[in-house]
Amino acid sequence: MSTLHVISSSPFADTRLGSCLRTLGPNDGLLLCGEAVQALRPGTPMALRLGTLAGARLYALDEDCLARGLESVEAEQVDYPGFVELSLRYTRVNTWL
Amino acid sequence: MAKSLLIVSRSAPWSGLAAREALDIALAGGAYDLPLGMLFMDDGVFQLVEGQRPEALKQKNLGANLQALPLFGVDALFACSASLAERGLDPAMLAVPATLTAPEALPAVFNQFDEVITL
Repeated sequence: MSTLHVISSSPFADTRLGSCLRTLGPNDGLLLCGEAVQALRPGTPMALRLGTLAGARLYALDEDCLARGLESVEAEQVDYPGFVELSLRYTRVNTWL
Repeated sequence: MAKSLLIVSRSAPWSGLAAREALDIALAGGAYDLPLGMLFMDDGVFQLVEGQRPEALKQKNLGANLQALPLFGVDALFACSASLAERGLDPAMLAVPATLTAPEALPAVFNQFDEVITL
């Protein structure tokens, strides 16, 4: 039993990512897309937190990273087919609207 | 067997439509006997505060809808204890009986349901 959490808003703009980290279980996955990939900016407190997730897997949509000049981030890069594959691998998907 | 759904409500009640929409999903699903639960977290816990008077803002009170949840068979109600504490809310003063749940226990709440929607 596991949840894939999907976030698309910047952690510098709202509290979704912080709250999501609160609900993240050790078997869960976290997929950052859209402006949420800004959470991976090296050296920021959020990037440090994301680097120490207990058990949970961290993914980022590759084109959103590329578009924002985030080239070597501490997350597993996935493309859209990979996004679909992930949504099937986990029991449920929780999109933080 | 219908799939079970957890509705995570994390919006305050009187600014924007998200709180009302989450509640409408719960009541509509409950009317069709779907197995539903609601989790109030972040600013969503403000919906549970007693003694609110949204009439002052010419808005309808959500309180009656919240009270109706158990009547519609939606009695799996959870409230994030950390969200309450951060906002100075006393768990003993909530308008609706919700199970206080610590953040560490939230993944287990998600795991009780087939699907989840966060508003």
